[in-house]
Amino acid sequence: MGQRYAGIDIGSRTIELVVVDETDAIIESQERDTGFDPMAEAKGMIEKVSFDRIMATGYGRNLFEISFDAMTVTEIKAHARGARALFPDIQAIIDIGGQDSKAIALFDNGRVKKFEMNDRCAAGTGKFLEIMARTLGFSIEDFGPEALLAENSLNISSMCTVFAESEVTSLIAKGENRREIALGLHASVIRRAAGMINRVSTDGEIAFTGGVANNPCMATLLSEKLGRPIRVPEHPQRIGALGAALLAREAD
Amino acid sequence: MSEDYRSMWTDLGLDLVAHDALLSVLGQGYQDIYLSQKNRPEGMAYFDFVMSEVHGLRIKELLDEKAAGRKIVGSFCVFVPEELVLAANATLVGLCSGADFATEDVERLLPRNTCALIKSSFGFKLGKVCPYLESADMIVGENTCDGKKKAYESLGGLVNNLYVMDLPQVKSANGKALLKAEYQRFKAALEDLTGVAITKESLKDAIHTVNAKRAAIHRLSALRKADPAPISGLDALLANQVFFYDNPARFTESVNKICDELEKRIAAKQGVFPAKTPRILVSGCPQAVPNWKLPMIVEAAGAVIVGEESCVGERGTRHLTDASGETVEQMLDAIVDRHFQVDCAIFTPNPDRLEHIQQMVADYHADGVIHYGLQFCQPYLMESMPVEKALEDRQIPCLRIETDYSMEDVGQLKTRIEAFVEQLK
Amino acid sequence: MQITPLLNDGYAGEPAKRVLNYVQDHRQAGDPVVGIYCGYAPIELIQAMGIVPAVLCAFSKVPIAAAETVLPANLCPLIKSSYGFIIEGTCPFYAMSQAVIAETTCDGKKKMFELIADIKPTHVMDLPQVPDEAEARSNWKQMIVKLQGFLETHFDRQADEEKIEASLQAANRKNALMRRIFDYAARVPSVLHWKEMYDLSFLAIAATGQEMVPLLEPLPDILEQRVREGFHVGPPKAPRVLVTGCPVGGDATKIFNTIEVAGGVVVAPDACTGMKAFMGEFAENSGDPIGAMAERYLKIPCACMTPNERRLTDLSAMIGHFKPDAVIDFVLQACHAYNVESFKIGRHVEEVHGLPFLKIETDYSDADTEQLRTRIEALFESI
Repeated sequence: MGQRYAGIDIGSRTIELVVVDETDAIIESQERDTGFDPMAEAKGMIEKVSFDRIMATGYGRNLFEISFDAMTVTEIKAHARGARALFPDIQAIIDIGGQDSKAIALFDNGRVKKFEMNDRCAAGTGKFLEIMARTLGFSIEDFGPEALLAENSLNISSMCTVFAESEVTSLIAKGENRREIALGLHASVIRRAAGMINRVSTDGEIAFTGGVANNPCMATLLSEKLGRPIRVPEHPQRIGALGAALLAREAD
Repeated sequence: MSEDYRSMWTDLGLDLVAHDALLSVLGQGYQDIYLSQKNRPEGMAYFDFVMSEVHGLRIKELLDEKAAGRKIVGSFCVFVPEELVLAANATLVGLCSGADFATEDVERLLPRNTCALIKSSFGFKLGKVCPYLESADMIVGENTCDGKKKAYESLGGLVNNLYVMDLPQVKSANGKALLKAEYQRFKAALEDLTGVAITKESLKDAIHTVNAKRAAIHRLSALRKADPAPISGLDALLANQVFFYDNPARFTESVNKICDELEKRIAAKQGVFPAKTPRILVSGCPQAVPNWKLPMIVEAAGAVIVGEESCVGERGTRHLTDASGETVEQMLDAIVDRHFQVDCAIFTPNPDRLEHIQQMVADYHADGVIHYGLQFCQPYLMESMPVEKALEDRQIPCLRIETDYSMEDVGQLKTRIEAFVEQLK
Repeated sequence: MQITPLLNDGYAGEPAKRVLNYVQDHRQAGDPVVGIYCGYAPIELIQAMGIVPAVLCAFSKVPIAAAETVLPANLCPLIKSSYGFIIEGTCPFYAMSQAVIAETTCDGKKKMFELIADIKPTHVMDLPQVPDEAEARSNWKQMIVKLQGFLETHFDRQADEEKIEASLQAANRKNALMRRIFDYAARVPSVLHWKEMYDLSFLAIAATGQEMVPLLEPLPDILEQRVREGFHVGPPKAPRVLVTGCPVGGDATKIFNTIEVAGGVVVAPDACTGMKAFMGEFAENSGDPIGAMAERYLKIPCACMTPNERRLTDLSAMIGHFKPDAVIDFVLQACHAYNVESFKIGRHVEEVHGLPFLKIETDYSDADTEQLRTRIEALFESI
């Protein structure tokens, strides 16, 4: 049997593990919640698979590096590598994860040309959508599909999670339609994401990665807003781990 | 501290409990960030000593100077001309502004969304922990940015010796005339403070002293062009920071000594990091002691900082003052000319700064630029976008950072800076 | 009760449309248009040269998202809005202006002007920041003279001293009339609504003294009639509010609306968009009309000045005249100058005048209107 390469993405919400073979084919993948002890969770995951080399990414990468003597790479490079592997024509990536969001522009050869990340707060991230869904009484799975059913969008001006929550509460109190508020919230996150993308890249195909890409409303609004083709991978939250696995092979 | 300075601090009116807490954080930070570095030049031992005595021996020296009749002038900005201060038989020191302190008290006087540097200078006063400020006979404020300009109005209520200097915002003939008028007023205020008239001899001496200090920094900077870099960005920044505190002649001598050592290192192709380490130029807001957050992250991420386009760095030191004047008036003009070239973002427009950044990228063989902006510092944050665009148009990667003195965002900054370093490799 | 509107021209409540109409009329008559942003733009000189000053759009939240793709988010909404209007091409006044007059008031504006300078000719006036400094008056006079040179070359329009003097004298009459009209808000209870002051100020800033005086002259009679008929704005015991601070217009008028919703009456909108523009007098027949202009403009107590003691004296005079029950300092988010100064204003209002004071720091969004209302109601409860 040939060599096996693993990539592990230790994010704020979930941990993903992907193993590829020498032909870059995915032979194994796993996902679980980060929980309170990310290293214990990560250990539990890697014990179940076999691999020859592993590379870690995500905010927990440095802890993992110390605990398991692994190579590390930033989420930015990992997402760039993973997304380009799936979509060879993309010029940029928008990644919206649990605690941060980033826009990455690529050179034709796949290297990172430029990137931007959100400020230090949760504005415009998965966390923001999660809190807003809860405030509106939607499950996180239904949040996007319900928003897509709205006929109008209500304008939400606050991007700060705390302010937006009180803005939403006062809209509910005014008797506004929940779906329309939901659509407005999605649109506000997209405005910010589109702003980030526009600052790093102005044309070409875009890959949408990170857990938030599972939300169908986000992808729809993003392509409307940017007027550029948006490619969403089947498992958008795994792209970082995939990229790390591919980079582990390339480092060999 | 090698000697017990407690009675000195008490006499200065410091809050000993708070001051102890500050020193212990400072000492620990210095240990973790500075003393843990590998391959440091031996000459840095001098700066280690200076830092260990920054609130001790150096303050004692200043108080001894005061006892001998000299006056101490404290400043927050490179527009305050050290030449005039020295010529009037006074000593210029930079005032503390590099760490958060007494934040709650500060936010009773200043809005929360004021930049960390301004808040810090208030915090050191309100918390009674800056011995430089407390030993100063005159504190000079200057109308640079909106935040400082307005904050000095409130600082005036906290201290009884604030002198505010107006500054031009446009580099026109009027602007220069204003700067000259302000320096003349400042000269008169200094002479009034010290009772010593500035003469052509004393001014010429002062210009030579300050130029020598700047020239030593120039020499140090030039050595940073080498690959492998002979000195870390952290250490070089420290030298640029101590520039504002130390006795000028001793500082000059110590920096030159380090330079002798670095020249040998370069000849032996030795460096603090391996050759081909990604080289980064930092450009933007000043980094005052003990604000070492950015270089700490950058150098831990496997890059080396080779220059600072900053007031604590090359923007502040790059020009010398023409010492050829024969009269006080001519030398004053030379001082005006020299300071009028400082390309601070408060000037509009400010094209020289962009030129200088590009020049530094070329001179120091930088692979990329990190634009360092303090949160809420509008002049530099506004310039950061055109700077980034101009650099990228010339295929120079640029990363804009907006941060403050807190450690909350270190994790996020690390990710961004590591990704940037990956981009440069 | 049916009350007679002050300006019965079909534009009631739509001051921007009224002014747009005014500027368009002039433009069709062949007058050039120059864009201005700030109360320091010497409109009397511009008008004396036969040029129309158009106050450029800066008060809508709509273009802010576009601006934030280029500008730092931590910037005041007025600057972001102004810049957004320009890059989106949605400000009709900007479209009609052949040049823009800029001033080095605050850091944000100063740097914003650098960004728009390559889109349209932009003339920057270097404004002194220490008005009491010996050189300030002559420096500012020189800036006005330079502006005149810029306008001459750009628009081929001239004005001799006589014309400038006439413009100043007409402006004095216009401003005196405006103050006389504002006096009806100083009555207890007030008979002049803030929207009427706002409507009038909007037009009166752009239009010349010669044009405004005939429009304004009949208004005191209308207001007198209101007094006779026992009309008043809001309930008779409603808390009277003086609003100081940053300019208020468009979406920022939420502050005035919220004060009303909370049961108060705005009796003195003291800002560059309100009364500040009509305060003070130009010295007449001084033989140096531009010097007289420089002198009067430097007396504007904008927070960009330091130390801005004049704002405190002017505020005290206003408090004496308009008899407010409370003072609200309206600060736009990230406007450092007004934000830092607010501390001094609050202390002055509370300690010298014994009045309740509230600082409101906000932007153009509606997000905080409920919270503002609660805070303002609480302020009124403390009266």
